[in-house]
Amino acid sequence: MNNLRVFAFAVFGMLCGMPALAQDAPKAITIATEGAYAPWNFTNAQGKLEGLEVDLANDLCARMKLSCTIVAQDWDGLIPALTVGKFDVIMASMFITDKRLEVINFTQPYAVDPSGFAVAKDSELGKLAGSTERIKLEDEAAARAAIDKMKPLLKGKVVGVQAATANAEFVKKYFGDVVEIREYKTTEQHDLDLAAGRIDALFAQQTALAATLAKPEFTTYTVAGPGFFGGVFGKGTGAGLRKEDKVLKDMLNKAIDEAIADGTIKKISMKWVKTDVTPVK
Amino acid sequence: MTDAIRLLGFESGGWGFALLAASLVTLVLSVAGFSLGAAIGGLAAAARVSQSRLLAGIADGYGTIFRGVPDLLTIYLLYFGGSIALTTVGRWIGLNGFIGLPAFATGTFAIGIISGAYQAEVFRGAWLALDRGQVEAAYAYGMPHRLALRRVILPQLMRHAVPGLSNVWQLVLKDSALISVIGLVELMRQAQIGAGSTRQPFIFYTAAAALYFIIASATGVLFRRGERITMRGVRRG
Repeated sequence: MNNLRVFAFAVFGMLCGMPALAQDAPKAITIATEGAYAPWNFTNAQGKLEGLEVDLANDLCARMKLSCTIVAQDWDGLIPALTVGKFDVIMASMFITDKRLEVINFTQPYAVDPSGFAVAKDSELGKLAGSTERIKLEDEAAARAAIDKMKPLLKGKVVGVQAATANAEFVKKYFGDVVEIREYKTTEQHDLDLAAGRIDALFAQQTALAATLAKPEFTTYTVAGPGFFGGVFGKGTGAGLRKEDKVLKDMLNKAIDEAIADGTIKKISMKWVKTDVTPVK
Repeated sequence: MTDAIRLLGFESGGWGFALLAASLVTLVLSVAGFSLGAAIGGLAAAARVSQSRLLAGIADGYGTIFRGVPDLLTIYLLYFGGSIALTTVGRWIGLNGFIGLPAFATGTFAIGIISGAYQAEVFRGAWLALDRGQVEAAYAYGMPHRLALRRVILPQLMRHAVPGLSNVWQLVLKDSALISVIGLVELMRQAQIGAGSTRQPFIFYTAAAALYFIIASATGVLFRRGERITMRGVRRG
C-alpha cells in the first residue's frame, strides 16, 4: 500500500512538476525544411538538402555549438509534426504571422523577402515592370497609394497563389474585389498554369518569382509593381519552434543577431537568391 | 528534351536512381499495406458473416467508418494522433521526449486499415456468392472442417474475390501517394521534391505518372494470372 502511494505520488509529481523545471540548453536539435522550394531549400539529385536555409541552418548551429540534423518534411505536415515533437525547429521560408503564432513560436526574422506580382510583359500591369520599390504595409498611406494604382491594371485578371499562405491572404484582402483568385497547393502548380495561360498573374515572393521567370518558357513574363512586406506577411521569415522551447529560442535569436551583424546572411543570400534579404532592424 | 534526359538520367545530376528507389518504396509500401489489409479484411469479413451480433456489428462499423472517412484524414489521425498518444504514454512511464512511429510503419498501417475495409466487402461478397450446396457436399463426404476449407471453400472464395481484390489493389497503389504527406519519400513525394528543386515540374510529374503506370500494369498482369488460376475448371460464357 505504502509503495503504491509512493509510486502514485511520483507519477503525480512527474506530471505536474515537469513544466516547472528549469530548461536545460539542448545539445542536439533536429531542423526541418520543405526540401522542395528552390533556391531557399531544395534537394539535389543525390538526395542532399541544399539552399539558402540549409546553409544558414548549418551556420547558426555552428554558432550555437549544437549538433544539428536537417530533415525534409512535406509542407502540410510541418507545423503538426513540430508540435508533436518530431523535430525542434522549422526553417522552411515560413513567414511569421499572427495566425501561426497562435500555434507555434518564432525567432526574430532571418530574412525579409517581399512578395509581388508576375505578369506577361505586354499586359497592363506589365507597364510597372522593373520597379524596385519596397512597400511596408504598416505604412498605410504608401500602401494604399500603390494598391490603388495597381487595381485598375489588374481588373478582371485571374491571379494564382499558393493556398494557406500569406500571399493568398494578401491578394484576398487587398485585391479580392477586382481579381479572381485561384489557389494552388504548390508554387510550381501555379507556375505551370501561368505558362499554360490559364491564369494571368502570379503573386508570390519576388525571389521565387525571379527563379521561375529565369526559365525559358517564361521569357515573355516579368515581375511588375512594388514588393510588399509587413502587415499580413508578418515580420518576415523566421525559424518556427514550439512555444515551450524558450531557451532554444534565445539561443537562435542570438545566433541570428550575429549572422546579421557579420554579414553572413547577406553572403548566403547573394549566393542563392542574388539579392540581399537580410532583415532591416 | 535534352533537359528531360539529363534530369531523369543516371549520371551525376540525374534523378533516375532517386525515382527508381522511390518507386520501389511505393511498391513495397503498397504490397505491405495490401497484405495487412487482406488480413484485416479477412477477419472483418468473417466477423460480418458470423453468428455473433456483436462481432458483426463491430466489423460493420469498421467498414462504414474507414470507407466513409477521407483516406488523408485517416493517415493524419494515425500519424500525428499516434505520436501524441505514444508520447503521452511515454511520459506516464517516465520517458521524456518524442516517441513516434516510423513513417513507413504508419503508412503501412494506414493503408492496411483503409484497404482492409474495402477488402472485407470483397471477401464478404465472395462468401455470399459461394454455392451452399458445395459446402454441404464437402461435409457430407465427411471432410473435416479444415480440409473442406482448403479444398472446397477457399478455392471458390478466391475465384469470386480475385477480380474485386485487383480493384482494391489499384486503389491501394494510388492511396500510397497520400503517404507522402507524412514525410515518407515514395514516388509522389520524390516527384514533388524533384519538381520543386529543379523547377521542372512537368518532367518529374510525367516521369512519376509513367512509373505508376508501369507498376500498375506489371501487377495487373499478376492479378490476371491469379484470376486464370482460380478460374480453372469453370466453363466460361
